[in-house]
Amino acid sequence: MRDLKHLNYFEKLLQEANNALITQAKKDGKVCVAYTCENVPEPLLNLDGAFSVRLTAPNTGSMDIATYYMTNLLCEPSRALLERAIEGGFNFADCVITPDGCTMMNRAVENMELLKTMGKDNPRFFHEYMEIAFKNTESDVELAVLQCTNHILTPLHEKYGIDVSDEAIRKAVAEHNKLCRLVRAIGEFRKGDKPRITGYEFHVLCLATYVCPSYLVLDKLEETLEELKTREPEEKPWRARVLLVGSEMDDSGFVKLVEECGAFVCCDRFCFGSYPGRVEIELTDDEDALTQVCRHYIQHCQCPRMMNQEKVYGRKQYVAELAKEYGADGIIYEQVKFCDPWAYERTLGSAMLSNDYGYPVLSVDRPYNIASSVGQMRTRVQAFVESIEIKKIQKGGRA
Amino acid sequence: MKTVEKIVNPVKRAGEESPGKIYNEKLKVRGRREWRGLKDTLYDYSRWLYLISVLGRFIIVPRNVKGFFRYRWMMSYLFVPHGMDKFTIGLRDEALRIAHTSFNFVIADVTQAIANCFRGDRRVGNDKAYSDKCVITDENSMVTFMMGFDKEKVHTILREVPTMFASNIFHQFNVMHYLDIAQQYGIPGDVCPMPEAEAGISIDDDFCVLGCCAVQNNTTCDGSLMGNGIIAKRLEREYGIPTFQLATPLRHKEPDVLEYAAREIKKAIAFVEEHTGEKWDWDRYFAAAKRVNDATRCRIAQLEINSTPYPQFFGAAFSLYNDTNYMGNSGRDPQFVKIDHKLLALAEQGYREKRMYAKEYRHRAIVWGVQPQYIIDQLYWLLQCWGVMPLADMLSIINTDMIADEDTPANREQAYRDMAMLNMEMIMRNHTHGGYKVLLDDLWELCEKMNADMVMMWEHMSCKALTGMHGMFEEQARERGIHIMWVSHDLCDPRVFTRQAIRDQVNTYMRTVMREEPLDPSLEVIPDSEAY
Repeated sequence: MRDLKHLNYFEKLLQEANNALITQAKKDGKVCVAYTCENVPEPLLNLDGAFSVRLTAPNTGSMDIATYYMTNLLCEPSRALLERAIEGGFNFADCVITPDGCTMMNRAVENMELLKTMGKDNPRFFHEYMEIAFKNTESDVELAVLQCTNHILTPLHEKYGIDVSDEAIRKAVAEHNKLCRLVRAIGEFRKGDKPRITGYEFHVLCLATYVCPSYLVLDKLEETLEELKTREPEEKPWRARVLLVGSEMDDSGFVKLVEECGAFVCCDRFCFGSYPGRVEIELTDDEDALTQVCRHYIQHCQCPRMMNQEKVYGRKQYVAELAKEYGADGIIYEQVKFCDPWAYERTLGSAMLSNDYGYPVLSVDRPYNIASSVGQMRTRVQAFVESIEIKKIQKGGRA
Repeated sequence: MKTVEKIVNPVKRAGEESPGKIYNEKLKVRGRREWRGLKDTLYDYSRWLYLISVLGRFIIVPRNVKGFFRYRWMMSYLFVPHGMDKFTIGLRDEALRIAHTSFNFVIADVTQAIANCFRGDRRVGNDKAYSDKCVITDENSMVTFMMGFDKEKVHTILREVPTMFASNIFHQFNVMHYLDIAQQYGIPGDVCPMPEAEAGISIDDDFCVLGCCAVQNNTTCDGSLMGNGIIAKRLEREYGIPTFQLATPLRHKEPDVLEYAAREIKKAIAFVEEHTGEKWDWDRYFAAAKRVNDATRCRIAQLEINSTPYPQFFGAAFSLYNDTNYMGNSGRDPQFVKIDHKLLALAEQGYREKRMYAKEYRHRAIVWGVQPQYIIDQLYWLLQCWGVMPLADMLSIINTDMIADEDTPANREQAYRDMAMLNMEMIMRNHTHGGYKVLLDDLWELCEKMNADMVMMWEHMSCKALTGMHGMFEEQARERGIHIMWVSHDLCDPRVFTRQAIRDQVNTYMRTVMREEPLDPSLEVIPDSEAY
């Protein structure tokens, strides 16, 4: 396929945590709200006068200093973020909001706070930690509303004078929805036998919407959407279509590796992917916007830490439904090494998607930066693709 | 660096001077019992006989024999007397009596728990009427939500305690099989082995199957939370046992989570009422609350004694007893009150007599971190071998606030918040979660309060909450002049760190950093890595 016009632009944005658009937004006088977990309601960080940036550590190499602070037994994303923070890579942030989602990420941010890695020249800088919901009940919604009020809205208003009114939240949600519609519309081109966008390209675009001020990427995304409508797909068919499920995926190189092995990544379901992160938030006038936003995040949350059985089984069903919708032949469950929540989720998910839903499943753990383990991963994925092909031959068609 | 005054025991210890000599590698147990002088040896032996009688009374029940041959983990209980001996090395006088009184009571409690499990177990006793009144709970869980139920009518079954936790105390290799099962299923080897082993037992279908319902809890960590999903799948889908997930906030020091936690407690109580048909009784609750407060006062008093130069109730016995009383009992059983006061009386007597339990006390240590100290004799060994007195450990530093214990309309609402608070501050998670202050600042405060110059830091290599603060512990200890002695382990997987590999970390630190020689060289290397 012909290269997407803005792909290179988006790829460059992903090369640095402090990318050009963050600099531009700061010049626009906006407050940068950094966060680390998909459970933080994104529109509340994008109220007028503020913009959200999900912290990432692209091109991570050595993590020696972070390893001293957190040992080599913690997951690589948490260490990579701490390392980057110690290096001064997140000095653009005006505050950091962290939910106690997974222990390791929480500890990474606590280390950042104790080491005073950010906010040296900003007396208004703050760290906030939130409790997040464990279940999808109305009681959990109530908890989320209180947490968002106390740990996002109140400090943003008091420290930076951000308007946190119901009207302001509705406006932020409208802008968030516009972004979601664009990303999802682009993602639709992954469906069908001849997709017009690769999983890698989509991942680059989607990830950019999390790590850049979203209002500054809208125009390029709109152009990309238009471009896709007339883009000529590859004639050569993919060997297999796979759904990628798992923990946070900051490394587009992993998706690229999978596709180089002949498996088209037709859908993504991981922290900071398009499912469920780019699902529109529906607001009504019957209830305040904050409660509705919190309810949306709780009901749509696919985080393994949601512990009630409805959610535990619901997550597997959700994956199965996505696989069906996007015509996946197989599922890759991936987990960043040492991630406890996804260690269990990957195990149970792999077993259930295979036994209960009949999908071929590849279950792998991976480093934060796939560059450190390309050969091993390639072998695993190649073998998986071949096994799917064999199943297709045996069944005379679909895996 | 901070120093404490070295205290030399003016009294020569009766009996054995070098207990390290009695270990026998081939036998996998000690070659003989420790000679503690006539009086204490007789006492120790009588307690050993008592344990045998507890086990004997258990095994004469036919269904217990059936259970013994059905469940792999039951083999561990053959080694109970040996397990108890791990926690009495070198002890004499009051400390010996304290260790036996507390530990034997816990053992009797666990024995009863096994008997209860077998009685209701569909495969063993199959007493359906009994099983229909049983509520299964997690191993590492507070049972505050059961405080208002009549324990004779609604039975709280901490099914994982005898299966995994206690069985591992008596046989260090017991859970390896279940870890292997879990890892064959696909769970990685880097998660905490405790919830992983519990998940493995469930995968292996080696839990007793009983109860009209189950209540799970996100107890200590991400691993414990996530292991529940696998266990609940079998409970609900295979055995039809409805399972409630009691969500317990992690940031327990934040006031804005309390109401949510209280609502969860209310839901758990309603769930138990629905499935057992029994009603919550406020009289019963407030009576239990009084006992919780009494236990709290006793625990505070014990810690006060330990802050003096003459600690009495220390080591694994202290934390295991607290663990059982605080979490597994939560004021429900009046028998604990008697034991609490008996233990306190013994400690006070020992303190008045200025009783010491080693030749010298060279250092005063706080034991912090997630600990394998029930599986190994580490804390008593530390005292006897190196003269380091373990004053208090992280698992014993729990709630010190009194809860409402008078039945008034206002207190009935407060009671939910109290139960929620206790639940959130259950053992281990009250320090490993809730922000760095409860992990770091609480430790330094405790060092100050207990006049400690040293921290023995258990570094459980799979506990991410602890290892995630490794560097901060180092830096802050240095700033405060506290010696910090790291001791790595992998909780219940001795393949990662054997007992001697654990001790050797202390030996190395004491020789190279502290430049000291052992008080009792016979204990420096003990051939018990293959022992039960």
